[in-house]
Amino acid sequence: MKDRNDPQFHKRSKIGPGYVLASALFLTLTLGPFLWAFFISITPEYEMFTNTPNFLPKEPVLSNYTELLLGESQYSQRLFSGLFNSLKAVLVTLLCGIPIATITAYTLARLRFPGKAVFKYGLLITMVIPVFATIIPLFRIFSTHRLLDKTFWLSLVYVSSFLPMSTWLMSNYFATIPRELEEAARVDGCGTLGCFFRIILPNSYPILISAALIMFLSAWGQYQIPLILASSANTKPVSIVTSEFMTKDTIFYGITAAGGLIAILPPALAALFFRRYLVNGMMQGSTKG
Amino acid sequence: MHRFSQKILPYILLLPMGLLMVALVYYPIAVTFSYSLREMKLTRPNDTAFVGFENYVSVLKSQDFWYSLQNTLFLLAAVVILTTLCGFFVAMILSKEHRLAGLFLAIAILPWAMPPIVNGIIWRFIFFPGYGFINKLLLMLGLIDTPVDWLSNRWLLLSVVAVVTAWRSAPFCAIVCLAGLKSIPKELYEAAKIDGSGSFHSFRYITLPLVFPFIGIGTTSASITAINIFDEIVALSGFSDVGKNVLIQNYLTTFSFLDFGKGSALTYIIMGLTAVLGVFYLRSLNREVEF
Repeated sequence: MKDRNDPQFHKRSKIGPGYVLASALFLTLTLGPFLWAFFISITPEYEMFTNTPNFLPKEPVLSNYTELLLGESQYSQRLFSGLFNSLKAVLVTLLCGIPIATITAYTLARLRFPGKAVFKYGLLITMVIPVFATIIPLFRIFSTHRLLDKTFWLSLVYVSSFLPMSTWLMSNYFATIPRELEEAARVDGCGTLGCFFRIILPNSYPILISAALIMFLSAWGQYQIPLILASSANTKPVSIVTSEFMTKDTIFYGITAAGGLIAILPPALAALFFRRYLVNGMMQGSTKG
Repeated sequence: MHRFSQKILPYILLLPMGLLMVALVYYPIAVTFSYSLREMKLTRPNDTAFVGFENYVSVLKSQDFWYSLQNTLFLLAAVVILTTLCGFFVAMILSKEHRLAGLFLAIAILPWAMPPIVNGIIWRFIFFPGYGFINKLLLMLGLIDTPVDWLSNRWLLLSVVAVVTAWRSAPFCAIVCLAGLKSIPKELYEAAKIDGSGSFHSFRYITLPLVFPFIGIGTTSASITAINIFDEIVALSGFSDVGKNVLIQNYLTTFSFLDFGKGSALTYIIMGLTAVLGVFYLRSLNREVEF
């Protein structure tokens, strides 16, 4: 028997028809677009966008998926190379970005030194600088030094644009770790770096995961930056490949829909499985604590 | 010696960040400014004469700039309103605890995790001008007789872009509002109940005022998203002239017409406009925060 004075008890008991209706609306509007794209992806081309009253295909087909995943067609090759390129860019971004963000966040959150405010605001202000302000000269600099269409340099540009947010997330978190822990370690002879590795890092894996996930999602979703800096077949990410299915070629909507759904599978799975970390990260990023 | 190394240690630790930001952000921003003062067309690479503010004047005089600025402002207003309303609505749904709450949360953040370009592509199937989902639905309900061409009329297209972008940015607003809702002590509601306050009254005088600062954060972040819309417009209408905002205009000037001087001037004008919002954004992030 539940305690009636427990606020949870009252909360649970209050689910009425209004809430059910609102939830149904929320679920339809959120999941609807994915479902419709899925229906498109299993609809044969001749049935698509015709004036028929039915919403579901009469003869559903899986040919778009088999062609993309198993086939030898150029669509399949382009999709897989796009997925591979995205993955590569994400990995390089994480490998460079997370260590730099961590060490920067630690320094700004824990150490005292003259000029800290300059570093802090200098980094944060770049969050609101439009991407064109940097990308126009970067395009020229990259093209004169033959750095265009190189995953490593593309990823470094990603890091420079994600760094403020991830540093922000982490330093807010580091600031919540009790100073006494660090002071005790110092008494035991730990140096600044020792404290960082022995006290701060082991206590902050949740925020490291959140920051890494957010960085992964942002890097995976990039379109504008690679469109300008890495649009060759060897480097263009899956976001560009899918959009080209729609704009450049004779359009096969089924293929486009199937390709789009495959491209969002990694972020969607991340959102499903790591929702706690993502939600915590989103909350940390917006407010302190 | 030890004291000295302790003193410079912070700067050494900040070096990687500093180098990266100087090389890939600060230096390029300065270069963009110098471009904006020059004649700089990649079609004529050898002619890079200093022209002062001529590029700025030419941007401000062009019809395209004002047209695209109108579009940006429309999108800004529409996205902010839609995101805030939907975000708060979703937050209210998520704040209730029940068996499916975890699943609801996962579903709610799904749109936020989407690549914006794919978001646009998926919604294009829904607003497809011929017999896409919305047209089929409206025809079936008898609300229209012939399919509506959603994506080639300026205001219809912009409204669709706003809906699609709000769909992607609402989850963040929802999560932030949810944090706000959860921070309200339950005793407040109970006390109000004892004093005879109805649920609407409680909502109006307890929930709204206490969640308000959180809604503010969601709104500010939505406005940054709205100004930076690019992918969704490309996915829904290509680089067509009808629905272009200032960013598309900037892209076309710079990378299609290869006029880097004018493109850079446009960038600086856009930066000036967004600086106002930027101050709000930093302030909302920085409430009560001490590094």
